[in-house]
Amino acid sequence: MKEEYNGIMSRSRRLDELRAGQRGRIKSVSPCGSLGQRLMAMGLVEGEELEMIRLAPSGDPIEVLLRGCRLALRRSEARMVNLEAEGE
Amino acid sequence: MDISAILAKSRYDRIKDIVDQTVTSDKGAVKTYTEMLDRAFLHRYLGIPIFLTFLWVMFQFAFTVSEPFAVMIEEAFSLLGGVAEQRISQPHLASFIAQGVFGGLGAVLVFIPPIFGLFLALSILEDSGYLARAAFLMDRLMSRLGLCGHSFIPMMIGFGCNVPAIMATRSMNDERDRMITILVSPFISCSARLPVYVLIAGAVFGPAYAGTAVFSVYAIGIALAILSALAFRKTLFRGETSPFLLELPEYAMPNARSALLHMWARGRAFLHRAGTLIFGTTVIVWFLSVNPWEATGGGQLVAESYLAQLGHAMQPLVSPLGWDWMTAVALLFGLLAKEVVVGTYGVLLGTGEATLGESLVSLGIFTPLSGFAFMCFVLIYVPCAATLGAISRETNSIRWPAFVLVFQTALAFAVSGLVVGAGRLLGFA
Repeated sequence: MKEEYNGIMSRSRRLDELRAGQRGRIKSVSPCGSLGQRLMAMGLVEGEELEMIRLAPSGDPIEVLLRGCRLALRRSEARMVNLEAEGE
Repeated sequence: MDISAILAKSRYDRIKDIVDQTVTSDKGAVKTYTEMLDRAFLHRYLGIPIFLTFLWVMFQFAFTVSEPFAVMIEEAFSLLGGVAEQRISQPHLASFIAQGVFGGLGAVLVFIPPIFGLFLALSILEDSGYLARAAFLMDRLMSRLGLCGHSFIPMMIGFGCNVPAIMATRSMNDERDRMITILVSPFISCSARLPVYVLIAGAVFGPAYAGTAVFSVYAIGIALAILSALAFRKTLFRGETSPFLLELPEYAMPNARSALLHMWARGRAFLHRAGTLIFGTTVIVWFLSVNPWEATGGGQLVAESYLAQLGHAMQPLVSPLGWDWMTAVALLFGLLAKEVVVGTYGVLLGTGEATLGESLVSLGIFTPLSGFAFMCFVLIYVPCAATLGAISRETNSIRWPAFVLVFQTALAFAVSGLVVGAGRLLGFA
C-alpha cells in the first residue's frame, strides 16, 4: 500500500487499496474460481466506475458505491479487483 | 478475458443501456437520507455503540411488550386446568385434561409472546435495511470467531430464546455458515435458563456471590459457542471461507403490514412443528409422572412415579457429579423447558418457590461445587424440546437435532465433570 506515495503514479491499484472517498475504474477481476464469478455477478465488471465509501469500524469489510448501489465486501475479496491507474 | 468475464460484462452493458433509456435520476443534487443515516450508523466510533443500543431496545421491546400476554396465557391455562379438575369426575381423564393437555398447552403457549415479540423486532430490523448494516459492522469480529457477520444477530437473539435465534439464520446465504450458527446457538444462554441459575446460585453462593456465579455461566456459554464454532469450521464444515458480498439496501420505513406478516410467517412455523413436539413431550412426561396411578395417588406423589424410577435408574450417571435422583428427574423435565427445572424441585420437595433455595442446601442436595456444576450442566445440555424442533425444521432433518442432543449432553457431562474434578482438586466440597 505504501508504494503509492513513493511517486509511482502509473502503478495500477487494487480496490482494497482505495481510501474512503477515492474513485476508480475497474480494469479486471482476477479470475479466481467461484469468488471471481460472484464478484462479477454482483456487477464488478470491466469498465465500471466505483467509489470507496467507507471502511467498517474495524477496517474490514469495506463499502463501495457501484452504479448507485452500495455493496459491502471484505478486503480479501476486494483484492481480486484491479483498477486502472489514475494520476491523483 | 475469460468467458465468464465476457458474459458478465455484456450482461451489465445491456443493463446499463436499458437503465440509460428508461431511468431518469436527480441524484447528486441532495444527499439521500440513506447516506445521512449511514454516516451515523456506520460511523467509525459511533457505529458499534449505536448498534448495541438498537439491540438493547429490541430486547426491551420484545420482552416488555410480550410480558403481559405471557402472564395472561399462564393464568388462563391454570384456570382452565382447575376447572377441568373440578368438573370432570373420572380422575384419569381429569388429570389428563388438566395437567396433560392444559398444562402442556400452557407450557407451549407461554413462549409465544416473547418469541413473536422477537420475530416482530427482527422483521422491523430487516425491513428497515438495518440488518445488512449489522452484518457489515460485526463481520470482522465474527469471522475471527469461526462465524460471519450474518451470524451476530441470530446469536444475540439467542439470549432471549434459542428458537427464534435458530429461525433467524434463514437470512444467511451461505449454507456452511448457517449450519455452524444453528449448531452453536444453543450455547447462548436463553432467558428460560436464568430462573434455574438464580435459584441454585442464590441457594449455594448467597447473595454476595450469586451474581458472579451467574455471570460466569453466561461467559462459559459464550466461550463454548466460540470454541465449538471454530471446531466445526475445522471438522464438519471445512473449506475456504465463504465470500461476504452483500448489498446494503436503501433505508426504508418499515411497513406495519409486512412486518406483521413476516412475524406471522416465522411464528407460525414455530407453532406448527415445535409446538407439536413440545406438546407431545409434555404429555409423555405427564404420563410418566402420574403412573402407576395407585402408587402416586393420581399424581400427588411424584416420588413414586415412573419418572422417579427413571431418575433412580439414571442416578449412577449423575452421582459422580454429586447429584441425587431428584436432580436426574429435574434434568429430564428440563428437556421440556429449562425453567421447568425449578418447578420440578418444588413438586419433589413439596415446598413453595420462596423456600426452595433453603431446602436445596439444608437437605444437602447441592454444595457450592455441585451446584455450580449443575448450573453448567443446565447451560450446556440440550436447551429444550422446542429448540430441537426448530433445528429439525431448519435443517430439514432428524439427524442434526439428534447430533445436537448427543453432542451437547456429552459436552455437559464433560464440562460438569471437569468443574467437579478441578473443584475437588482445589479442596472444595
